[in-house]
Amino acid sequence: MVSSEQPVPTTIAAENLSKSFSGRPLFSDLSFSASQGLVAVAGRNGSGKTTLLKILAGLLRPSSGRVRFETEAGAPDSPSGRRLAIGWAGPDLQLYGTLTGVENLRFFRRAAGRAGDDRELEGRLEAVGLGEAARRRVEEYSTGMKQRLRIAFATLFDPPALLLDEPMAGLDVDGREIVRRVVAAARERGPVLLASNDERDFERPDRRVDLPGTGPRA
Amino acid sequence: MSALSGAWAVCVKDATEELRRKVAIVSVFFFAATAVTLVSFAMVGALALPPADRPPLQAALLWIILFFAAATGLPRAFVAEEESGTGLALRKTIPAVVVLAGKTLFNFLLFLAMAAVTIPGFLILLDWKAGSAGAVAATLLAGGFGLAVVSTFLSALVARAGQRHVLFVLIAFPLLLPLLQAAIAATIEAAAGAFPSAPLKVLVAYDGAAACGAYMLAGVAWED
Repeated sequence: MVSSEQPVPTTIAAENLSKSFSGRPLFSDLSFSASQGLVAVAGRNGSGKTTLLKILAGLLRPSSGRVRFETEAGAPDSPSGRRLAIGWAGPDLQLYGTLTGVENLRFFRRAAGRAGDDRELEGRLEAVGLGEAARRRVEEYSTGMKQRLRIAFATLFDPPALLLDEPMAGLDVDGREIVRRVVAAARERGPVLLASNDERDFERPDRRVDLPGTGPRA
Repeated sequence: MSALSGAWAVCVKDATEELRRKVAIVSVFFFAATAVTLVSFAMVGALALPPADRPPLQAALLWIILFFAAATGLPRAFVAEEESGTGLALRKTIPAVVVLAGKTLFNFLLFLAMAAVTIPGFLILLDWKAGSAGAVAATLLAGGFGLAVVSTFLSALVARAGQRHVLFVLIAFPLLLPLLQAAIAATIEAAAGAFPSAPLKVLVAYDGAAACGAYMLAGVAWED
């Protein structure tokens, strides 16, 4: 099947971003821009990878600097405009344990004012290998299954930009392959920023962001 | 329209979670039932008071019970999201004002359910006379709505603070004093069979001001 949709050029840019916690600087004056392809966000533990992705996703405010986000459709340069246009998943992301996988996706779709057709949502869960578990409560999921659900959450609104923080954590071989497929499809449409401690997670990155003073060890 | 359907989705989600987990419902209803029963034991002597002297005491006791029962369950609205780690997913996808509206609606319905348990207990065990049922209902609706709005907003405000439960009560008490005062006055008049127009106007004005304030400050309270 050939898609007739044209890729939408989307740009996410950090402009002189700085972030401090309790006066301790995490990173400062960080600038980069990404329009299409995979951006590897690298750095040691505590270098600020998770914080950087949360700032780009609009979940945290930077201490200074700003995030610029543009699509051809002209998404507003504001947290509310970025809300659905940037998919995000990270280790801190928890979904509702008392709800099933499909109930979780349906809730977020409907609460965001979008349609929540169960068959379409079950297809999304099937795509991340949770087809059999779609009607089971999330509190019964294993660590890897929860990670797969996070990936489904990140792509729930078919965002033109995708931010994935340690997406391979807790996944088996099949799960890693699913993430690779998601990243491969998303990097054709727009920017994918992938943060990881493991260099093997970066498959032919188009560019790198090495957080100051860190970078890969020799 | 999408904001309204979004708020409804949040309310349905909260209700589904609550019916499966039963944390707030059990604590609220257990507190209300226990408080009404204990108050009825303590009020045996007071029931010897002339009927005309009882309504102020009964009205005050009714709202004390409703306030503290609400204080055990309503603050969970946002606190539970932070404690379970689901707050990030909410903030990522849904505007703060939509989340606040949905959770306020759920808390309002929870308050009405709690009142539906408390009022019959008062009528039976404390020999309370609801002179004008319509006026009592109007007072409960107006008082309950204000209580739900303020409690839900404060829940968002303190959700990520340390000592959040203590903080909630410390802030809620002075903020809710005018509401409780007007609700008690309205209940006294309603029990006497009159329509409490003056205190009801105060309650409606309080509700309007609280709802406007919560709407304007939702983002400040809930987002980073």
